[in-house]
Amino acid sequence: MSAGNDAAFGTSNTLAARLAVWLSPGRLLLFLGVAIGVWLVFVPLGTLVYISFSKDTMLGPGPATISNFIDAYSARGIPQLIGNSLVFASGTAILTLLMGGGIAWVVERTDAPWRDTFHLLALMSFAIPGLLTTMAWALILSPNIGWGNGLLKSWFGLSEAPFNIYSMGGMIWALSSHYFPLAYLLMGPAFRVLDIRMEEAAVVSGAGNWQVATRVTMPLLRPAILSTLLLLFVRGIESFEVPRLLGMPARIHVMTTEIQHATASAPPKFGIAAALGIGLLLLCVLGVYLYRKATANAEAFATVTGKGYQPTPIRLGGWRWPVAAIVALSFFINLGLPLVTLLWQSFFSTIAAPSIEALRKASLENYHFLIGYPVFRTALKNSALLGVLAATCVTALAFMMAWVAQRMMKKQGWMLDAIAFTPIAIPSVIVGASILFAYLVIPLPVYNTIWILLIAYVTMYLPYGMRFASGGLVQIHRELEEVAEVSGASLGETFRRVLLPLLAPVLVASWLYVFVLAVRELAASIFLAGPGTQVLGTISLTMWEEGGSFGAVCALGVIQVVPLVVIVFIMRRIERAVRVER
Amino acid sequence: MLSIQSLRKTFIARDGTRVNAIDGVSLDVEQGKLLTLLGPSGCGKTTTLRCVAGLERPDSGLIDIGGRRVYDSAGKVLVPANQRGIGMVFQSYAIWPHMTVFENVAFPLRVAKDRKYGREEVAAKVNRALDMVRLGGFGDRAATQLSGGQQQRLALARGLVRAPSLLLLDEPLSNLDAKLREQMRFELKRLQLELGITTLYVTHDQSEALALSDEIAVLNAGKVIQRGNPHDIYHRPNCEFVADFIGSTNMVEGTVEGAVGADGKARVRTAQGHIVCTFAQTIGAGSPAEVIIRPEDVVVSASGSGENTLAGRIANRIFLGELIDYEIAVGSQTFRVRSRPDWDFSIGSAVALRLPPEKCIGLPRPAAGSPEARAHHEAG
Repeated sequence: MSAGNDAAFGTSNTLAARLAVWLSPGRLLLFLGVAIGVWLVFVPLGTLVYISFSKDTMLGPGPATISNFIDAYSARGIPQLIGNSLVFASGTAILTLLMGGGIAWVVERTDAPWRDTFHLLALMSFAIPGLLTTMAWALILSPNIGWGNGLLKSWFGLSEAPFNIYSMGGMIWALSSHYFPLAYLLMGPAFRVLDIRMEEAAVVSGAGNWQVATRVTMPLLRPAILSTLLLLFVRGIESFEVPRLLGMPARIHVMTTEIQHATASAPPKFGIAAALGIGLLLLCVLGVYLYRKATANAEAFATVTGKGYQPTPIRLGGWRWPVAAIVALSFFINLGLPLVTLLWQSFFSTIAAPSIEALRKASLENYHFLIGYPVFRTALKNSALLGVLAATCVTALAFMMAWVAQRMMKKQGWMLDAIAFTPIAIPSVIVGASILFAYLVIPLPVYNTIWILLIAYVTMYLPYGMRFASGGLVQIHRELEEVAEVSGASLGETFRRVLLPLLAPVLVASWLYVFVLAVRELAASIFLAGPGTQVLGTISLTMWEEGGSFGAVCALGVIQVVPLVVIVFIMRRIERAVRVER
Repeated sequence: MLSIQSLRKTFIARDGTRVNAIDGVSLDVEQGKLLTLLGPSGCGKTTTLRCVAGLERPDSGLIDIGGRRVYDSAGKVLVPANQRGIGMVFQSYAIWPHMTVFENVAFPLRVAKDRKYGREEVAAKVNRALDMVRLGGFGDRAATQLSGGQQQRLALARGLVRAPSLLLLDEPLSNLDAKLREQMRFELKRLQLELGITTLYVTHDQSEALALSDEIAVLNAGKVIQRGNPHDIYHRPNCEFVADFIGSTNMVEGTVEGAVGADGKARVRTAQGHIVCTFAQTIGAGSPAEVIIRPEDVVVSASGSGENTLAGRIANRIFLGELIDYEIAVGSQTFRVRSRPDWDFSIGSAVALRLPPEKCIGLPRPAAGSPEARAHHEAG
């Protein structure tokens, strides 16, 4: 369907009249959606650049200057700061890849038992907010109060805590235990489409197992590994929760925490924050650029060869159970321990290690406190509302953008795609900071309302929505829409009767995914939430950092986790339904 | 019934050059006839069909369907696809997987703007359409449960349910396996004759085109190269491209010796000897020409001499049951010959090839290096 075909020239041929006919309400709505998407992406980026080149004054951005960059990058700690960010991100990427890639291999390529359960657990781990995992690890491996350290000390008669979570290693560990499902989800498809016959051909040619692995399997997987590493690196470098909770107490600062620190200092150093933000952004853009290059090349490695392709699992034989046990153990450590810790601690008002005698002091006091705590009630309401709104807006906008890109603008569609994907390279901290700057200046009455949070969320999650919508739409043959049109259906009827029913599973999955992300958001919210517009993430952080109410924070975590786990089950069902349909 | 005049459409290719997808195509189809647009991929046949459907917007030209102007670049008319009232079958069938067989067929009635169809009327029309394509009783099935051939017929039923005045078929058989394709060919022919529906058919498969069409238009590089009934297209191709595209062919280059006679015959001197052949157009003595003969028109025998008889040696043979395909070396050239299975020669044996003059088609050959020759070359 090219741009002009469901519109008539009409009898009049003046430009305005033709335009009026062509711009049906449906089209107008589509263009509006596209315009909003473009606006959302460009405002924070433009603001960031503008602020970084403007002198800070008490009345907002002043005259143009490059002193922000000079000040920011000549500061004494800057090599250390960038170094910390790089070490933290690379360490996380490698550890995460090993954990997630290993599980993906077991689930996709072997005949180990419990593979379906592992898949579900991986999805669940991903749904648990990173903030909660990080808090749980602090409760387990803090040198002073961590019950895990306490247990190890008493078992092995140690005088010092064997682990310190407040260290670079601890930070990498905590983030990896939150992100390894991402590596699993990225590597899974790569293992799935790897044609076993390529390996068989090597075996038949006389190669041994080691040679098959190094000369065939690894080279074939290289694009997937590389792209996964790059994406994890970007995720790591823009991560905020872990450095804030574990790095700051140990004085290990990274760029994201430093940016937030600069905006929160008195007087706020917006220019410095923006200048640092540009550096962080460039690092992320570089990472994403390399990532996209790696995945573009990956197509040259496309190894699924059409019909009749049936992946055969590798027979582990006697190793089936040990391998399954190792994977189960890793889920127990990465998912089980944090969840148990949260749940356990939520029943106690003071720090409590899991033990039988402690049970006598267990109570629902924390839950009672939360329910009666007006700040919590407001935050819960805000987070739920924002989750619903963000999920709805992202899914709708992404669908409109993807449709316009794929169906109406065959030539220029890639630009819309690129715009919608841009926020994936923008760290949440920068989205938060630059939206804060932008709407101080832009005369829209959103400041200090939940709408400014919504703007941030929709901006950040647009790429995910786009990924779902675009991927789903590609699967739907254009001819399915064209035949509806030829059959006499209007654009609206084609959408309602053909496109939406076909895309429904994808759109629902997209909605739930964004909802999960939005409910646990912290890094951008911390810039934008104020009195009355607090969200679950920001109040959790405040309660945690004030100390003394660990139990209540954990109860808050439990309240968040339960619905998220339910959502994961729903998503899993949809995933199955979609797979069966194809 | 359908009339297309001077239709043009250009695309901007990836490298930025303009490509004439349709380069001044004019065609008309009479009421109840089936016209096939035949050509290699990228020749503009599907684009032409999509312009008729309203799915693609031409740059210029005129399209009338049943006397109604649906596109006119000069008069600024562009009737949208959903108001052209046509039936169409797509190459992918485009069966909606979320609907039943019944709902798929009922869709055009349900979205009809000109009138409302009552529930019983819909049921009656849908069932009649399903019966027509021999899918009666399949209405309640999920569309995805159908086999490829059944999906193809379902797509056809959906295209026919509104009793459109014009049916557009875009390579409808190309996704079927060989046996089913042959069966559906008969089915399509039967339906088209029974319903007397004007049909525009697009395919790259010459045997499909020969089997189904009242008329064939051979397209290449956006232009209609030759138009005629299947018999003429096959036996009297007007250029090497058509001859080569419709079935395989042997081509010998040479020079015309003497004038074309009253019977259209002339002698052509070639590297393999003199060949008397039939020219459709006048051609002067000494002009470069080429002689075209179909593999099945060459007669092979153990020995022989005389007019239009060449000596050759069997280079290769493939036994196909009902016939034998030979590659026969004649001088520097290899002839493809398709013979009855009882003319059985082993590889290496010397044979005589007789080329019946009435089966040898003479065509003028553009001089090497001329623009026509280059276009000619690219087309091939």
